[in-house]
Amino acid sequence: MAIVPFDRSVLKVNQAILMVVIVLGYLVGFAYHAAAYVIPALAVMMLAAVASPALNLPRILYVRILRPSGVVRPRVVQEDPAPHRFAQLLGGIFLTVATIFVATGLLLVAWVLAWTVVALAFLNFAFNICIGCILYAQLVRMGVLPLSRAPAR
Amino acid sequence: MILLLAPLIAVAVVTAAALVLRAQRGSQQELVGSVVEPPGDAGGLPSILYFTGVACTICHTAQKPALRALAATDDRIAIREVDIADDPELAGRYRVMSLPTTIVLDGAGQVAGINVGFASGDVLRRQLVAAGMPNATQPVG
Repeated sequence: MAIVPFDRSVLKVNQAILMVVIVLGYLVGFAYHAAAYVIPALAVMMLAAVASPALNLPRILYVRILRPSGVVRPRVVQEDPAPHRFAQLLGGIFLTVATIFVATGLLLVAWVLAWTVVALAFLNFAFNICIGCILYAQLVRMGVLPLSRAPAR
Repeated sequence: MILLLAPLIAVAVVTAAALVLRAQRGSQQELVGSVVEPPGDAGGLPSILYFTGVACTICHTAQKPALRALAATDDRIAIREVDIADDPELAGRYRVMSLPTTIVLDGAGQVAGINVGFASGDVLRRQLVAAGMPNATQPVG
């Protein structure tokens, strides 16, 4: 069997996009409440990335622009990508729930959920602490999660 | 202006969760030097306890081949493979938080080393030697 390479830079790009867009949306939101609609846009981005690598916008941005231009260097590691996909799914779920609160006008709750995603992304981006991955391991250990053998992407 | 609370609440919640999880992860290293379960039939020699799972791709594509290559160099090296779904209690006692996890036990069953994530054959061999495995210095990559 071949070793599965997994490029962590894709995750870093994803986390950077999340942090920048949410923080900007939050700040602009003080002047224009419609800026909260960055939340559903990011929810779609996250869930699409989990669904298929062809729909993974941060990956496309990284592979086609950031890596070739040398802005972001590859960080290929030998690692199971499944926990990171689970963490991305969690982020997507958080933002989807936040979207419901945006739609219902409960912006405080929506921004708390969005900022939770920012904080989690920052922990992973800066310190490689992946809370979703740790939760994933706990859930697999408890036999709660459906298991798959999907390759790295 | 109440929206100003949003980042504060979120950061407080995530920080608390991170501290709890980090404390749990750190506690696994506290197992080093202790005996979690009675020593098996490794003949008084150091051995490896390997925690894996069906969904752990890197376990199957990298860790297991590395362990096989290591075992092929020295038939005294005993490797016990544990699927966490089959034995969650044992995984809990060794505080396994991530897969793969390889634990090097000395001849008395004391935890000598814990590797979270992929551990190469060379790393494991060094840990086995440090745990008292005689003449186990051949590199395996």
